[in-house]
Amino acid sequence: MGITQILFWILAITAIFSALMVVISKNPVYSVLWLIVTFFTISGHYILLNAQFLAVVNIIVYAGAIMVLFLFVIMLMNLNKETEPQKSKWLKLAGAVAGGCLLLVLVAGLRHTEKQMTEMVTGDIGLIQNLGKVLFKDYVVPFEISSILFLSAMVGAVVLGKKEPRIPVETEMRKVEETQQAINI
Amino acid sequence: MNALIFSAVSGVIMMFSSFLLNNKNSVRVLAHVLLLATIIANIFELRGISFFHIDTRGMLEFDRFALLFTLVANVCTFAFFLLSSRDLEKIGNHYSDYFSLLFFILAGIVVSSSFKSLLMLFLGIEILSIPLYILTGSDKRNLKSNEASLKYFLMGSFSTGLMLMGIALIYGATGTFQTGITVAEKVPVLLITGMMLLLFSMSFKVSAAPFHFWTPDVYDGAPTVVTSFMATVVKAAGFIAFMRLFAEEFGSIRPEWKLLVGIVAAVTLFIGNITAVFQQSVKRMLAYSSISQAGFMMLAIYSLSNDAKEGLILYAAAYSLATIGIFAVLVRMKDYTFEGFNGFAKQQPFLAGILVVFLLSLAGIPLTAGFLSKFYMLKATIDGGSLALAIFAVLMAAVSVYYYFRLIQSMYFKTGNATISGTTTGFKYTLAALAGITILLGIFPNLLTNWLYF
Amino acid sequence: MGPISLIALTLAALLFSAGGILVGKLFNKGSKNLQKGEAYECGIPTKTSPWHQFNVGYYLFALLFLIFDVELVFLYPWAVVVKKVGVTALVEIMVFIFILFMGFLYAHKKGALKWM
Repeated sequence: MGITQILFWILAITAIFSALMVVISKNPVYSVLWLIVTFFTISGHYILLNAQFLAVVNIIVYAGAIMVLFLFVIMLMNLNKETEPQKSKWLKLAGAVAGGCLLLVLVAGLRHTEKQMTEMVTGDIGLIQNLGKVLFKDYVVPFEISSILFLSAMVGAVVLGKKEPRIPVETEMRKVEETQQAINI
Repeated sequence: MNALIFSAVSGVIMMFSSFLLNNKNSVRVLAHVLLLATIIANIFELRGISFFHIDTRGMLEFDRFALLFTLVANVCTFAFFLLSSRDLEKIGNHYSDYFSLLFFILAGIVVSSSFKSLLMLFLGIEILSIPLYILTGSDKRNLKSNEASLKYFLMGSFSTGLMLMGIALIYGATGTFQTGITVAEKVPVLLITGMMLLLFSMSFKVSAAPFHFWTPDVYDGAPTVVTSFMATVVKAAGFIAFMRLFAEEFGSIRPEWKLLVGIVAAVTLFIGNITAVFQQSVKRMLAYSSISQAGFMMLAIYSLSNDAKEGLILYAAAYSLATIGIFAVLVRMKDYTFEGFNGFAKQQPFLAGILVVFLLSLAGIPLTAGFLSKFYMLKATIDGGSLALAIFAVLMAAVSVYYYFRLIQSMYFKTGNATISGTTTGFKYTLAALAGITILLGIFPNLLTNWLYF
Repeated sequence: MGPISLIALTLAALLFSAGGILVGKLFNKGSKNLQKGEAYECGIPTKTSPWHQFNVGYYLFALLFLIFDVELVFLYPWAVVVKKVGVTALVEIMVFIFILFMGFLYAHKKGALKWM
């Protein structure tokens, strides 16, 4: 077993363990911290794949920015142990069975898969020069179109997140009543 | 390419329209004009005149099928604008932004209906869904809208995750994102697994059973205007992407998935129709009816013939126009239950007559576009070798007649005081025009399908 | 400098941090009182639980930041290859930045960048 393989196994086991801890942890903040560990292990995998740029980006964007967003959401909803809804045992069991079935089917299906997957020509596609060349020569159209995606996400953030000017109490009360009625129906 | 660039630019213009125009009416007029420009640009491209020459490296292909569907989607959206754009105003304070989100959805529709690369499929579906999550939750002070938005977002991102996983597996098996793969005799297991994951996630996006559980809640909770758009144009776009994916990418491994798609179609037809029978609210009934119509559209993917292609386009047009029309009336009603429509025909004989046309079209009664599109689907299914599935579909269509006629019954044969507000003359004429198109397409479907060839 | 040195460094870092905790435990006199559990042992006593609801405004800022963060990530590979690819790359990135600049302008005009 070479050094790369040892590293791979360590990283893989840590990744699976921390990903499981994300789900198992009772405290949502712990879940987020475990998620950060998961991201770091995945960055490690990127380095093993000779994609240093992606590894760094993964840490900057995911472990940095997106984690902050996750924490904000948790703080926004004010989740803590007391408010965590108690799910019934049966629901948990059903979830475990369903997830287990998916895992079983995938493992059973992929067990007989071809040993060698399609190999790309060289192993240095993840280097920043090659990435840049591919991105700005072959994948220009998706690159530009993704900016529309960003734009719509931005509009959405403003539409949903911006504080509204106060509306008169009466209108508000009427809306609440309408909602109540709608729920009763 | 015309429609893509026009709708994206229109979206950007609409973003800024609220700063430049301080009048809601002019914002609305601007949106109509921009959409009309998009439609005209699209017709130009359909006639072979493209304004932009951009090398997409084979990632997008604007063939006639894609262009014609884009045209149908744009025209249906235009009808939606004409009928319901005033109701968008009532959702919240960001009137112009809703329009810009709708334009971004249209851009997403163009991408997802003309993709040639799985990467573009993913991008298109995302551009289509993210504005929808936002529009679903745009009624910020309504708890049901919030719930619907969150539910839609969580389920939607989960299914997008499945889709990405599927694309990754297919890339692992074939080494390319480009569609149109050729496989050797033995189909790689990785490819089949990826195909299954894509099948699941696309079924989710078009709300085919058993991946439909989000649909009634989301359609019910979203503001009614938004439901009208997402149950029609967006769902049809999902089917076009579905069809394109399975015809081009997985066409060569058809025996692997044919049975599965047939089962999904049958289950969707069954669940959608049977549950729709028990609904008390018209809005919820329409949500289930959209599931059952999805079952019919699944038949096109099952058979994948030329008939199926024509039929799907016709189906998209017929279903979208009729549903948009019904929703446009429903938004203005005070009470969304069936009882709320009691005595509607006495008060508004004209509108009631038009609603009947739409309902007949949805139920698939002859002389309407809905009948012919169902007919095309059944013909394609029988040619595809499954008589049993076709018979089952006919049986289920018969069930659907029950709940569509229930609405007609409460409009005409029950007394009550249905209340509707805000019906202008222009609104009535637009509805009448839609009904006219529905009947016209029911008699001369070639008016639409000929565009595929000439 | 092979991967061995990297692993050695990692192990050394782990040992050092674990060692610190271990030494602390060994020489700990074991004085236990309530103040030990406080977040700031020698500061002002905390009044309420640190768990409280954040304003949605933070979220809006974070989301806008994230979008521009992702935009920035695209600039690194561009900067590396811009000489090789030439003018087309310049045009491509200009279009991209322009579209996102529109988004920035929009957010600014909407007042989303104002605090509250």
